[in-house]
Amino acid sequence: MASVITAQNLTLAYEKGKNIIINDATFTIEQGEFVFITGPSGSGKSTLLKSFYGQIKPYKGTLNVGGFDMKKIKKAQLLQLRRNLGIVFQDYKLINEWTVEKNVVLPLIITGYSLDVQKVQAEKLLSHVKLADQAHKYPLELSGGEQQRVGVARALSKNPFMILADEPTGNLDEFSSGVVWDLLENACDQLNATVLVVTHKIPTIFNIPYRHFIIENGGVHEVH
Amino acid sequence: MKFIKEHLMFMLPLMAMLIGIEFILIFNRVTTSYEKKLKNEYAILVVSKRQLTTPMLRAINEKIDSVEPMDRESIAKEVTAGMQDSAMVAIMKDLPYFFRVHLTSYLSLDELKEIKQQLSSVDGILNVEIFGENYHAKHTMFKLVKMILNVFIVMLFVVSLLLVIKQMEVWQLAHKERMAIMEIFGAPMMLRSGILFKIAFIDAIIATLLNVFIFIYIKNSWASRTDITFIKENQDLLLNFSDFLILFVTALVIVAVSVFTVAIRSSEVPEG
Ligand SMILES: Nc1ncnc2c1ncn2[C@@H]1O[C@H](COP(=O)(O)OP(=O)(O)OP(=O)(O)O)[C@@H](O)[C@H]1O
Ligand SMILES: [Mg+2]
Repeated sequence: MASVITAQNLTLAYEKGKNIIINDATFTIEQGEFVFITGPSGSGKSTLLKSFYGQIKPYKGTLNVGGFDMKKIKKAQLLQLRRNLGIVFQDYKLINEWTVEKNVVLPLIITGYSLDVQKVQAEKLLSHVKLADQAHKYPLELSGGEQQRVGVARALSKNPFMILADEPTGNLDEFSSGVVWDLLENACDQLNATVLVVTHKIPTIFNIPYRHFIIENGGVHEVH
Repeated sequence: MKFIKEHLMFMLPLMAMLIGIEFILIFNRVTTSYEKKLKNEYAILVVSKRQLTTPMLRAINEKIDSVEPMDRESIAKEVTAGMQDSAMVAIMKDLPYFFRVHLTSYLSLDELKEIKQQLSSVDGILNVEIFGENYHAKHTMFKLVKMILNVFIVMLFVVSLLLVIKQMEVWQLAHKERMAIMEIFGAPMMLRSGILFKIAFIDAIIATLLNVFIFIYIKNSWASRTDITFIKENQDLLLNFSDFLILFVTALVIVAVSVFTVAIRSSEVPEG
């Protein structure tokens, strides 16, 4: 198996020197692994995910994602890496001027897939997240939980090699959460995607093997 | 209301720039036609002991177009008016030949002086008069006006471009979030800025059309009624079909420059 993420003494900070969020973390994640990341609010879970898609650069240590050194990565390479990731945001980050349908296929639009492919994929994914009848609505016409599911569908729309999901079930009831867990399990199990999920609560029923990292006081520790 | 205001804030400076371009185009055409007119009306006077021909002088300087002999007899007649016929014969014997030398194009004073020098050294040529000052006085005035116009248009361009970019920044701010989301999903700058191009592209088309209409009106309606003879005479030079393309391409370039300026400047800098 090949490593998709390698962190060596990784240290993250928003302001250099001050307020270190992640301190001296060392870990590797292999292709096709499923990883849960938990930890108290404000501990740096979202920040760690940001470092994986290059929104924050390593302050100290090294971080390699998908073969790219995230400290030295060039703008064009970063965009290329991002096009192959599926990201679910804690605050959804949907484009409010676009329909749900168009939001879901944003990654396909960016890669330049034809309208036909976009249409088929949007239909399929929206039915997976149980939103088939909301395709033509706009994000602000949906409930929080519905918007979150649109975000999940968008992350899956291009079969990414890695999915980074920040609280993908944070606003969902038990049923909808189950739907999302199934989709993520499936992406990992069937499509061999690497899946990293930040969550407050690991689901009680989970059908595939997974790893579990806890972030606390700046440290990243694996629970065995 | 806000919508209209925003688009006017973009379109008016854009139109000002296009009008500036159109003025430059018109003025260049007028200059060319004016120089042609000057050239046609102009000739160097050459006094010579022997006959001169066009090929002879062309061999000396290629800018010489033709040589036109002046009627010697009428000159002699004028001088000997009221005298005996023998005086006329005597004068004709000693009278040199006079020629008008026409040029192929409008030349500068230095070029004229060079031709004068070359002609003066030709065997048999007694005198060369280039009427330099007279020829150039009008043209110098014309060039001055042209220079002032160009300076003015450059200033207009700079100010207008700043205004256009300012408005582009306003639009970019309005679409900031969408562009940021697209960037996180790896959209290249061109795609992220697509929305800005779309808005600006439509405005560019409208601005170009309005400009063309203004000049069509000036050409066909105002120019035929005006008292300014120079404009009346040069009515044809006011708007060419190719101007339409030049204006449109210019508008597109301005739009592209403003979008890129804004997009590159705002490109996300990773935190930390
Ligand atoms: N853009 C930012 N600039 C400066 N500090 C930030 C920024 N974003 C987050 N922080 C700080 O970094 C720390 C970690 O934030 P982060 O969002 O990673 O926490 P989290 O573990 O995701 O929390 P939660 O479970 O509430 O989402 C917090 O103290 C937060 O105040
Ligand atoms: Mg968070």
